[in-house]
Amino acid sequence: MSLLTIENLRVSFPGEQGAVEVVKGISFELGRERLGIVGESGSGKSMTGRSILRLIDKPGKVTADRMEFDGLDLTTLSKKRMRALRGARMSMVMQDPKFSLNPVMRIGDQIAEVLSFHSKLNARERRKRVLESLEAVRITDPERVYKLYPHEVSGGMGQRIMIAMMVILEPDLMIADEPTSALDVSVQAQVLDIMDDLVTRTGMGLIIISHDLNMVARYCDRILVMFNGEIVESCQASELANARHPYTQGLLASMPTLDEHRDRLPVLDRTQLGGV
Amino acid sequence: MIDLKHLSIAYGETSVVKDVTLHVPEGGSFALVGESGSGKSTILKAIAGQITNWTGRIRLGEHDLQHGRDPALIRLCQMVFQDPFGSLHPRKTVDTILSEPLSIHGIGDQNQRVLETLDAVGLARKFRFRLPHQLSGGQRQRVAIARALMLDPPVMLLDEPTSALDVSVQAEVLNLLKTLREERGLTYFLVTHDLPVVSFLCDNLGILRQGELVELATVDQLKQQQFSSDYGNELLSKSF
Repeated sequence: MSLLTIENLRVSFPGEQGAVEVVKGISFELGRERLGIVGESGSGKSMTGRSILRLIDKPGKVTADRMEFDGLDLTTLSKKRMRALRGARMSMVMQDPKFSLNPVMRIGDQIAEVLSFHSKLNARERRKRVLESLEAVRITDPERVYKLYPHEVSGGMGQRIMIAMMVILEPDLMIADEPTSALDVSVQAQVLDIMDDLVTRTGMGLIIISHDLNMVARYCDRILVMFNGEIVESCQASELANARHPYTQGLLASMPTLDEHRDRLPVLDRTQLGGV
Repeated sequence: MIDLKHLSIAYGETSVVKDVTLHVPEGGSFALVGESGSGKSTILKAIAGQITNWTGRIRLGEHDLQHGRDPALIRLCQMVFQDPFGSLHPRKTVDTILSEPLSIHGIGDQNQRVLETLDAVGLARKFRFRLPHQLSGGQRQRVAIARALMLDPPVMLLDEPTSALDVSVQAEVLNLLKTLREERGLTYFLVTHDLPVVSFLCDNLGILRQGELVELATVDQLKQQQFSSDYGNELLSKSF
């Protein structure tokens, strides 16, 4: 049975000339696997992720024929039940740890907040769980990090802390929105490896939203390519090189490679694709 | 064209750049790669005259860099920054952004020069009186490149010029940078962590680790993935 089923999801925002649709009726299913959603700015990939967690507020409008998470109908769930779901059974890792962590709260206390909201553990048990989760994201001295403030840690460690916070309750679904684009290349791989490891160990479903085709191809099982609010290509990660849609092909061709011998890089012809 | 001899930079006790010596020939394109905190941007800032407490020698062409304000330097090298959303004045039109350096340096014929540079970076003339927020990321980066070209400097300093852009837009900007270099014989000094970009745009590269130059390599070594230092190969393996 699939973990998440989305059918005909539409997201729109009011604009000067009527509503602007940013996600135009997409459908997909997610099992306990790693799914990558790739696209450029404005393709609607982040909006897709946010609408699954029902994080799009007014005036934005989300409609779907079907949006089911593990048998629960997300479209009709009350706000209260939704809150109980978020963080505990599905969670989201944001792009930049600098802006997503509370700057005036110690890291340990911040992670423990999730536990005090969702569980009935006492303070000592909470502390123990937090230290364990910090260890799980390969932070070597959790006792020290527990007491630090977000400005005292590096970007890579910040992102690992975010992940620790998101996985502490072992959710069934994790959505990572550009989890590594604010990080250095050398740290990127490390953060992705940690996520990968957690996913394989706990068997959760993972959605990675990114603009980086190569990264997604390396860390996901399946890839959806979005363009202009629509899914234009859906394929196995290993089959990406044989992509059929002109947009995917264009994107792949326009990336320089390590062994680059082309004099000029091919440029996407947006008018031909019927885009903006 | 760019000659660094025993360049060292320290902030207080912490030394950030340690005894770096390198040379970029005229018309060459050199990339400095390394992780964050390796000192690559610091070197770039020293060449651009933004940091003055360096020791050693920095030479651009025939010009020895001074430690204080150096007006001659501005005509010699200009910089393109990483984020086109942060590097353009939000309340100045493209026209003002581009003609400002001309006014400061007392260069006439502004109208003609602005139009020529817009053409050179492939921006339609209708964008001349727009404000930055009316442009896309790629268009903004073109404006930033145009601004750097206004004073006709022989050296361009590029600080991660495409890492804030979408993949397809990155291709356009990289093509533009390559064309400009060929047409005008510019010398590029690029700071990046993106090795494929180096492979496309550069002839030589230097690998920096914690302020020390670990290796100087040719782009062919990069293409064949054969660096001589362990750290260089480690960087290669981490790159996608």
